Amino acid sequence: MAVDFMQRHPNTMGQWQFIRSNSFRWALAVAGVLAVFMIALFGFIYVKIDNYLIERTDRMLGRQIAFMATLPMERQLNAIEDHLRQDSRGVQFAGVFGSDGRRLAGNMERLPAGLKIDAPAQSVTAARVDQPDHNHSVRAIAKRMPNGNVLAIARNVDETKEISHVVGEALAFGLLPAFIICLLAGAWLSVRAQRQVEEVNQRVQRIIAGDLRERLPYRDGSEPFSKLAVIVNGMLDEMETMINALAGVGNDIAHDLRTPLTRARLALERGRTHATSLEQLQTVADKAIAGIDQSLTIITALLRLAEIENSRRSAGFGIVRLHEMLREVCDIYEPIAENKNIALTVHAEHELNVRGDRDLLIEAVTNLVDNAIKFTPEGGKVDIELLRNGNETVIRIVDTGSGITAEERDAVLRRFYRSDKMRNTPGVGLGLNLVAAIVKLHGFRLTIHPGAGCRVEIACPDPEA
Amino acid sequence: MTKVLLIEDDGETAEEITAELAERGFEVEWSANGREGLDKARNLRPDAMIVDRLLPGMDGLSVIETLRKEQVRTPVLVLSALGAVDDRVRGLRMGGDDYLTKPFAVVELIARIEALLRRPVESRETLLRVGQLELDLIERSARRGDRVIDLLPREFRLLEYMMRRSDQLLTRAMLLEEVWNYKFVPATNLVDVHMGRLRHKVDGPDETPMIQNVRGAGFILRAAS
Repeated sequence: MAVDFMQRHPNTMGQWQFIRSNSFRWALAVAGVLAVFMIALFGFIYVKIDNYLIERTDRMLGRQIAFMATLPMERQLNAIEDHLRQDSRGVQFAGVFGSDGRRLAGNMERLPAGLKIDAPAQSVTAARVDQPDHNHSVRAIAKRMPNGNVLAIARNVDETKEISHVVGEALAFGLLPAFIICLLAGAWLSVRAQRQVEEVNQRVQRIIAGDLRERLPYRDGSEPFSKLAVIVNGMLDEMETMINALAGVGNDIAHDLRTPLTRARLALERGRTHATSLEQLQTVADKAIAGIDQSLTIITALLRLAEIENSRRSAGFGIVRLHEMLREVCDIYEPIAENKNIALTVHAEHELNVRGDRDLLIEAVTNLVDNAIKFTPEGGKVDIELLRNGNETVIRIVDTGSGITAEERDAVLRRFYRSDKMRNTPGVGLGLNLVAAIVKLHGFRLTIHPGAGCRVEIACPDPEA
Repeated sequence: MTKVLLIEDDGETAEEITAELAERGFEVEWSANGREGLDKARNLRPDAMIVDRLLPGMDGLSVIETLRKEQVRTPVLVLSALGAVDDRVRGLRMGGDDYLTKPFAVVELIARIEALLRRPVESRETLLRVGQLELDLIERSARRGDRVIDLLPREFRLLEYMMRRSDQLLTRAMLLEEVWNYKFVPATNLVDVHMGRLRHKVDGPDETPMIQNVRGAGFILRAAS
């Protein structure tokens, strides 16, 4: 779908797409969260500072009133005067009021309304003598003296408002750039991701167009996008190998089918022109049928190979008594070995079982034994051995033939491979492929040891307990 | 006359089969589609049927399954272009009696149809006899006239199979499947080698050969005249 969209609009990296892009949306969301978080942080700082200042003010007021309350009347008035005189900023309020509420001293116009006497500091409003109509927000505390007068002290807390102003400014100065940086980063990431996707799209298009060597770009392996590209490239490597192998197989099949078919065709053509008697025509027909039969054998073998390779049927697996199975194979092949004066023997000292498909395993072993007999010269020996090796059960087929070289070993597992010395031996060159496919299906291991005297092993690991 | 019903959608193949069967004295009824074939199978009561797997109208296996459910026991040879072993197993499980993969040799088809028509009844006999040849299934011994034939177990099995089907053409594929239980065709001509050994023992140097090789087809065991 995505590829389709890009294909139809190859160069529409327009604004709309940009804003819709996932990474930009993410950036927007991150910026939003950042803003909310910063506002909450600043709010918290503001509240904390406010609380701290009020607490400090309250402590100070408490100490002052406690001190003044201990002084005698006249000294008290002097102390108030001193106290107010020292206050250059004009934030301090103080006053002594008679029991009737009349002001006796200080700069407080009147006792603030609602101020509870002999209670902890409270928030109230107070006015100065010089500005009786202007009310200030203050923290105030009041105490009744023994003589009935009331002593009140207060302090202006308007400065917390200033602090909030400062905090707000700081917020504005800090938040806005952060928000913008966030958005810019998001936009950059978004564009980058778009570019990457666009580049991947172009390369994928090239791969679709048939350039199998094309790979996805990546920067370094730690970045998720690069990691993905590396994974996809690995997959492409595997597919390229497979497709090339398939093409090779196709050529091989064509070649191997063509040879017998050509022979059949030639025979028929010649027979049609030159045959003068029924017998001659029958000979020609026999030749043609033989050629066609060989082609069919190849097709059958290929289908069988595909069937085994694609089969996932471990459901049909059962216990296979290998020693019995090997004896059976030996029994069937004994006359053939005897005809070639080859000694075919089974060495199975233990009764060993594996889980598998008996028919397929017989087919595999039969193929190996068939091969061994075919490539062992007269008077030779073929041994079928069943043994334990570590935690594996091993079927080993050893012959006294010329064996295979290390280079040939990999080639024999390729489809249709037949070494030059096999050219004159009947067969289709798919036998070992079948064996390999069967062995793989069972999760066993096929080993071909190079050197004189071919030694082929099927190792069956014990199932994990 | 033996009646064979052929259900096969490819006209040319059907024509060839019909001609070949007719030549051998069979009466052949042909149907090109599954449903019609099923009706004919019910009405004509053939002695044997040849059914292609992929048919228009109704799949070949469904035809067989339907007939088997109706308790029709007519022997059926299933034809298929699907050669896979699993398909074969399915074909036989659905009620087919034998399975032949396309393309096939006509002799193979004829041999199998005849084998189906003359399926040996599960006899309790313990002594098989073809002409002078005798096989004792209990003593596991064989003799031709007065001459005792010493057989290996595998040779005994092969001879027993052939004696139960004497005078019938047995193809290599049939022998591989039935005697050795092979589900695939091995590279080497196994059957010929085994048959050669058996023949060597059964037919003495101055005796009339009983095991006959039918060129390009298979083997027949006949009573020596």
